[in-house]
Amino acid sequence: MSTVPRQRSGFALLLALVSWLFLLGSGAAMAQADPAAAQVERQQTQPLNNAPVWREVRSGEAHFTTVRGPETGVLIQTEGQVWRQWRNGPITFYGGILLLVVPTAIGLFYAVKGAVKLHGAPTGRRMQRFSTFERVVHWGTAVTFVVLGITGVCILFGKHFIAPVFGTAVLGGLLTAGKAVHNYIGPLFGVFTLLMIVAFLRDNVWQAIDSVWIRKAGGIASGEHVPSGRFNFGEKTWFWIGVTFLGLIVAGSGLVMDFPNFGQTRADMQLANIIHGVGAILLIALSLGHIYMGTIGVEGAYQSMKTGYVDEAWAKEHHEVWYDEVKAGRSGHP
Amino acid sequence: MARMKFLCDAERCIECNGCVTACKNEHEVPWGVNRRRVVTINDGVPGERSMSVACMHCSDAPCVAVCPTNVIYQTEEGIVLHDKDGCIGCGYCFYACPFGAPQFPNGPAAFGARGKMDKCTFCAGGPEENGSQAEFEKYGRNRIAEGKLPLCAEMCSTKALLAGDAAELSEIFRDRVLRRGKGVEAWGWMTAYGKEEAKK
Repeated sequence: MSTVPRQRSGFALLLALVSWLFLLGSGAAMAQADPAAAQVERQQTQPLNNAPVWREVRSGEAHFTTVRGPETGVLIQTEGQVWRQWRNGPITFYGGILLLVVPTAIGLFYAVKGAVKLHGAPTGRRMQRFSTFERVVHWGTAVTFVVLGITGVCILFGKHFIAPVFGTAVLGGLLTAGKAVHNYIGPLFGVFTLLMIVAFLRDNVWQAIDSVWIRKAGGIASGEHVPSGRFNFGEKTWFWIGVTFLGLIVAGSGLVMDFPNFGQTRADMQLANIIHGVGAILLIALSLGHIYMGTIGVEGAYQSMKTGYVDEAWAKEHHEVWYDEVKAGRSGHP
Repeated sequence: MARMKFLCDAERCIECNGCVTACKNEHEVPWGVNRRRVVTINDGVPGERSMSVACMHCSDAPCVAVCPTNVIYQTEEGIVLHDKDGCIGCGYCFYACPFGAPQFPNGPAAFGARGKMDKCTFCAGGPEENGSQAEFEKYGRNRIAEGKLPLCAEMCSTKALLAGDAAELSEIFRDRVLRRGKGVEAWGWMTAYGKEEAKK
């Protein structure tokens, strides 16, 4: 089983990817040596030697063919093997481990520490935390993300956990629907992600109070309530790294594969697939933390996004600076 | 047990595209799909070479490895076949294949709606019952079940394209190389068969 990529060293794979990327960039320059002239010359000096032709066969360059279609003039493209090694190797293996470890860790944390309860008594007075627009954008992103996450995980890992249990026929049926859903919902997720960035950008910029949150690690371990603005530093991290950075990367790389009709080469789509897989797995792992905090992890958090309103006691405990600003009429935001 | 392979002799191929036509006609392949094609290198200059290319039925086939629904499989003779019923048209086999063999009836369509993958079956049909109408409609003729070899090679006017048991192909090719004293490379063989056979 020398071909099991998992057994290869990570360094060799890294080296392969780097040289692959290098070749992608320098391929055009190398072809400038005019292999046709080399072959003509070789035919005169060594009529029995076709070495220039064999170099061209393996070059990945397009040659003449009457058959029309994507890259039909290419005889051998070697990058496919590298893509296969990365996708079936580290992305499946380490990605799979990450997607098992993170939920387990969250489950253990919940079992040991439990939910963050509201300490003070609810006042009964409610204040608006999210506008209707913000909630529509949030749930639009959330629903499309969960659908894409589940179908995407099945496309990469389904053959490892669905097929052995239910058989390939069930997997085939599920993925026929799953791939269609993934491909048609994907662009919608991209639109929602952009709206999300627009909606929440203003309150996710750095504030001096965030340094206190970082110093006390959000009070996660101590259980202490750390004052913060409308969003604390943890939420801001999720906004910038999760929603914005990974969200845009995953949506963009997805579009490269979703619309192959713009003349992308196989190399383009292989690279997009690698980026999409790594980005999506990291995004799913981070989202599990966000979903935990927004549902069972913090009492009252789910209601705030469901109804748009929070109790004043909740606001004072979790986002004291924001609470003070709203009370002083300085917030300008729900 | 035989190990079926293709071999295209670049010293003999004259780019007549007879193999392409024979394949399309035998299997009634839909518009836009070509299971086989001929590529010419240095067209029109001294030393030009043409090569016929289709699925090479690789050992350790990359398409088999990356298929998310596990519908591509290899027979005991080494022929790579697929079950169209479970194909979702994701295109991963096309990403992975060194030879550009997997084809899609809708081409590179928006939203990745390519349709079900189609490729050379080594004239061995698919998982349906041998010689059935359902098999013909999805995969084309099953000549192997009738005791015949792939039609592209059978029809090749210069016998550049050979199909059959690897040992016999190698025998014929070695004899040719010895007689003519050149053209020792069986193009694509290292890419297709350079690895050990996948464990079944």
